[in-house]
Amino acid sequence: MNPLGLIVLPVIGAAAAALGPARWAKWTAFVASLAVFALSVVVAVQFPEWRTGNYWPNTNEGGALKAFGVNMLLGGDSVNMLLLLLTTFMMPLTLAGSFTAVTEREREYYGWFMLLEAALMLAFLSRDLILFFVGYEFTLVPMYFLISIWGGQQRRAAAIKFFIFTFMGSIFTLAAAIYVAARAADASGAWDFSIAGLTKFGSESLSNREQFWVFLGLMAGFAIKTPVFPVHTWLPLAHDQAPTGGSVILAAVLLKLGTYGVYRLALPMAPAGAVELATFFGVLGVLAILVTAMVCWVQTDAKKLIAYSSVSHMGFVVMGLFAFNPIGMQGSVMYMVCHGLSTGALFLCIGMMYERFHTKEMDAMSGLARHMPIWSTFMVIFTLASVGLPGLNGFVGEFLCLMGTFVAEHDQPAGYPGVMGPWFAVVAGVGLILGAMYLLLLLGKIVWGPLKVPGAHDDPHEHAHGDKGHGGLPRDLSFREIAILVPIAAACLGIGVYPKIMLDVTEPSAANALVAFPEKVNAWNAAHGKTAPAKVALQAQEVSR
Amino acid sequence: MTPLLAQAGLTQGVTVALVLSAALFTIGLIGFLVRRNMILMFLCTELMLQAASIAFIAFGRMREDTGGQTFVIFILTVAAAEAALALGLVVLLYRRRETLSAEAWQELHE
Amino acid sequence: MTFAASMLAHSLTLAPGGGGDAAHASLADAPIVAATADPSLAWMGWVLALPAISAVLCALCAAFRVKNKLPAICTVLALGSAFALVLKLYLARGPGAAPVTVHLWDWMNFGWGGGPWKSFQADVSLYIDSLTLLWMLFVTGLGTLIALYASEYMEAERGPGYARFFFGVSVFLLAMSALVMADNLVLLYFGWEGVGLASYLLIGFYYRKPSAVAAAKKAFIMNRVGDLGLAVGIWLIWVNYGTVEFGALFQAFDDAARGVGGWDRSLIPFCLMLGAFGKSAQLPLFTWLPDAMEGPTPVSALIHAATMVTAGVYLIARMQPLFSLHPDAMATVGWIGALTALLAATIGMAQYDIKRVFAYSTISQLGYMFMGLGVGTAFGAAYHVFTHAFFKALLFLTAGAVMHGFAGQLDLRHLSGLRRVPGFRIVSWTMLIGCLWLSAFPYSAGFFSKDLILVQAMSSPRFQMLGWIGLGTAALTAYYTFRVWFRVCAGPVAYAPGDEDHGHDDPAHDAHGHAAHGDDAHGHDDHGGAFHPHAPRLAINSVLLLICAGAILAGVPGIQALRGEQNWVQEMVSNSSAVRAAGVDHVTEPVAFGMDPHKLVTVFGTGACLGGIAIALWIHLLDRRMADRLRTALLSNGLTRWLPTSMENKWYVDELYHALFRLPAWVTSHLLHFFDRHFIDGLLVNGLGRVPVAMGRLFQPLYNGALQGYAGTMAGGLVLVLAWVAWKWLGATGGAA
Repeated sequence: MNPLGLIVLPVIGAAAAALGPARWAKWTAFVASLAVFALSVVVAVQFPEWRTGNYWPNTNEGGALKAFGVNMLLGGDSVNMLLLLLTTFMMPLTLAGSFTAVTEREREYYGWFMLLEAALMLAFLSRDLILFFVGYEFTLVPMYFLISIWGGQQRRAAAIKFFIFTFMGSIFTLAAAIYVAARAADASGAWDFSIAGLTKFGSESLSNREQFWVFLGLMAGFAIKTPVFPVHTWLPLAHDQAPTGGSVILAAVLLKLGTYGVYRLALPMAPAGAVELATFFGVLGVLAILVTAMVCWVQTDAKKLIAYSSVSHMGFVVMGLFAFNPIGMQGSVMYMVCHGLSTGALFLCIGMMYERFHTKEMDAMSGLARHMPIWSTFMVIFTLASVGLPGLNGFVGEFLCLMGTFVAEHDQPAGYPGVMGPWFAVVAGVGLILGAMYLLLLLGKIVWGPLKVPGAHDDPHEHAHGDKGHGGLPRDLSFREIAILVPIAAACLGIGVYPKIMLDVTEPSAANALVAFPEKVNAWNAAHGKTAPAKVALQAQEVSR
Repeated sequence: MTPLLAQAGLTQGVTVALVLSAALFTIGLIGFLVRRNMILMFLCTELMLQAASIAFIAFGRMREDTGGQTFVIFILTVAAAEAALALGLVVLLYRRRETLSAEAWQELHE
Repeated sequence: MTFAASMLAHSLTLAPGGGGDAAHASLADAPIVAATADPSLAWMGWVLALPAISAVLCALCAAFRVKNKLPAICTVLALGSAFALVLKLYLARGPGAAPVTVHLWDWMNFGWGGGPWKSFQADVSLYIDSLTLLWMLFVTGLGTLIALYASEYMEAERGPGYARFFFGVSVFLLAMSALVMADNLVLLYFGWEGVGLASYLLIGFYYRKPSAVAAAKKAFIMNRVGDLGLAVGIWLIWVNYGTVEFGALFQAFDDAARGVGGWDRSLIPFCLMLGAFGKSAQLPLFTWLPDAMEGPTPVSALIHAATMVTAGVYLIARMQPLFSLHPDAMATVGWIGALTALLAATIGMAQYDIKRVFAYSTISQLGYMFMGLGVGTAFGAAYHVFTHAFFKALLFLTAGAVMHGFAGQLDLRHLSGLRRVPGFRIVSWTMLIGCLWLSAFPYSAGFFSKDLILVQAMSSPRFQMLGWIGLGTAALTAYYTFRVWFRVCAGPVAYAPGDEDHGHDDPAHDAHGHAAHGDDAHGHDDHGGAFHPHAPRLAINSVLLLICAGAILAGVPGIQALRGEQNWVQEMVSNSSAVRAAGVDHVTEPVAFGMDPHKLVTVFGTGACLGGIAIALWIHLLDRRMADRLRTALLSNGLTRWLPTSMENKWYVDELYHALFRLPAWVTSHLLHFFDRHFIDGLLVNGLGRVPVAMGRLFQPLYNGALQGYAGTMAGGLVLVLAWVAWKWLGATGGAA
């Protein structure tokens, strides 16, 4: 079976939604996205080869498109499949979350959304660099329109900034990728853009200096997409201005494209460069965690707070990736998926609140636990997941990322030396405290406290009696909204209680991604005078005893 | 002239074709620069396009590669589509201003 | 009185306080029995599952707006069954069985080769030894009783709020059980943060009060500071020992004891300590606990007095094999404990809110426990945890009964003579028991447990100072405890109702405003007419009596120790990982005033207790205006004014933290926000974006709209390129020619 169906189906859905009658658009798109989800589950269950760290399908046959070294090579290992499942899982929920929020130009809206899904599928399923890049870049187009048509007051500026900022970085990524491909073509005599081939060539045949620049180039795009600290400023604006659905997908999946790129391309393709720059990106990760957490703390707009918290949380992923050990790697993959669930759900919650009150100002409301108990319950659950409470999803990833960073020392006995070490983890760990501060501030201002409902200038209690809020929505969540949030909450709890289900499948993939590292890290450490085998020897002695 | 081309490794047949191409291009360029009539200007661009086509064919022939001819087919198709579109536009513009002079539309630059 | 004291001292001196010299010498080297996996005990998983099920049922009750007591029934049944299971296991194993592990399911478990350092194994599995059982017995037992108490206490909230409360209690029991039964540090961390969550939810139960919301937030964040310490400790342990499972760790510590330790090994106990200090409200992270009294009183009794706050003691007792390798760390624990005990006692003396007095006394007693751990008697600490759990729960529950009956009144200046108020007899007398036990009245359980700790401190010249601090604090404790009892329960009958301000979840209550209270069956009618105290009924009274009985029985091991018999608590501790601290030194040489430690502590401890009670009796019962006169006298003197002021203001610790941490963080955050918006985004990003625009402006004049102009520019460019090519070419050929 060819996974092409996962890409074609959303395209058909997009066409059907865009060309069909307007009042059916949302249902068409919703059903199509559900079908994609069902198909992805069927694929994941029926072809479990991906769970072993290998790619499924395991053929190197190019499809119909085969020219200039570009092959229609599709498939995925466990990380691809997890991100793919995350995408297909979030997409129907996001669409259902837009049913009442989007009332104009519905056909276009749902059409763009399905195209976005197709692009994401392509990016996550490509085993060919150019195909990946096509999918990666094509996500910009639907997102641009989603922000600039259905967004808030400054939607134009936000959309343009989002597009140009991320596009500018991608140019460097493409250039670096083509450089590697050109060098590979020089060596082998034929162009071939398959990721596996380029990874092997890049890690083995490029000089350290080349790898440095290739890594920097690849990271230029991925760092902006992730986003890493100083190049994050497009994100709060884009999140703030995007419609709820756009924010959800942006946080849940689009950001993961950046970290996925680091995981799949940048690290394995230029390991020496990654080692060289690990300290740099580690510092940026720490800065992202701390600085944006503090910026979160003084936000007055609930949606902006969560947008900044995304930057802070993605900092943990960056730390984990640059730990160069299985703990950090697997923690990062866990955190990518878990952040998608909990932050996506938080954006959905904020969107539901916005639909009722038409404001996201935290000072305008208070004590909604009385007014909307069901909504508040979900808000508390997802906030706690985001805080990283053990037992919910956020904890596993956060803990493993930080632990991976902590043990990433030059002389540690895990077999995977690193360049960062304990201080990075301890300083970044302050982010755990700051995270609790700003997220509980959000809860304390909106959910708890004396009741204050925006827009109800007269007695709020009178308002509380009415069953209908603004825009024909019920005071508390409707059945549809509950049905959107329940699966996400269940997934959060499920992963938190039994993360093994994911750790098992990411284990071989992480090992594959790390193949080249111990050697390169040791070489780098030796070059920087950091060889202290005393501790290793001591501990090895203890092991043998 | 000839020794120069020979020195560049070009054969006689190709030289003739290239000279023809250069001449056509120059005529087209000069025509485009000196005339104000939009139809004539358009014809001049077509001349330049065909000059490029001839060069393509000549080089394709020289390197015994079908790529050059493929591109010419592309150019011809594009030129045909372009001609239809451009002439349609010119007619429209003429209806608006009752003149074919390109200067009549100078304010379009903003 | 002095005669009685000396008699007592005599009897105690004769009795070896838990094992003789020889026995104790062997303790220091006692092996830690390796744990064996025992899959047949998988049913212990129900101890975790039952509170979880009850939490789910409570959530469903909230969702379906159940108005009756169903959530309470679910919770009490689930917790009672959990207690029964723990009891069953205890009876089946007895106090001396070897530790076992029960694997339930894989949690964070992956590897890249297997073995230490090549895998990370943190499963949901249980480590059950007698220390675990000791803790579980009182956690589930008191949990059940307090849930029963709360079923009546929280009646006014029936509806979603009632379900929410019992949801929180169930979550707490789940997390606390996981914390105590965890077989690895990460699962312990799960429980650690889980009890923090339960604490957050329950402190903020009356979420309409901004003070309750702030207190809940403060508790969670201060605990997070400690949690970071714990997390760093876990990472350090993994780096140094390659595993986080207790069974393997205890063996590794033994090996490490003979090996060399780097600075990062020495750091481990300090990191764990930070976590313990956060959870157990010790210096410097203690200020959240008094604020946590915003929660409903059963919560204060269960979480913030009896069980959760002892988690720090449990952690250090559990990791005793590690701590015993690091004498400096032990000393730090002891000193922090002693200083916290003293500081909290001085604050407790000057508070007027009964619950706050008890909160500070909790901090102070926890200080004793840490002192015990620090000076090397985990037995004493565990025994004090055990006795304290009963008498402090009892005190809080009586305070809750008073609060419940007097519409939220907790100010000891507005309550008097309660023992003569109808229906409050049981409350008053059980409170007296609690107060006696807290002030370590001779032959009470509190006396025995505190005695063990102080004797151990006095026995070692290094820690003698701690012993004196402990004795001084004991006097303060007796004073402030009986200050409450003499004010509230003794004296003439006089009371004023409080302004009952509990947030009800039912919007209807709100709509009708305060008058809604009149419809309740409680008679909180404080609008007009006489106020009738609302006496506690069956559930509250029976729970008070049961816990009171428990508090009295908790003294039995103390009496056994007095008689030189092997006692239950010591047996439990000595069959656990804390075996090396399971005794009390038996020094017979005089250490001060010609007395050996036992006699010293008995005499001075009894004196401190009776002296404190006597002063309280004098200025708070016999001549109540004396207390005010004393305060006024101190305030009017410029030299002593600082004393009552700073005690009443909690030594300005909150203000200090605000100035040191919160304010700088707030300022920095605003600066960073400004920096982010205007420098990074404004200057760099948008500035870079303006460069192409500016470039475009520069060349704009060339684009005037004239087609020939454009064409000319292009042709000119072409000519330039051609000219350059031609020049190079001709130059090249010219050179060749």
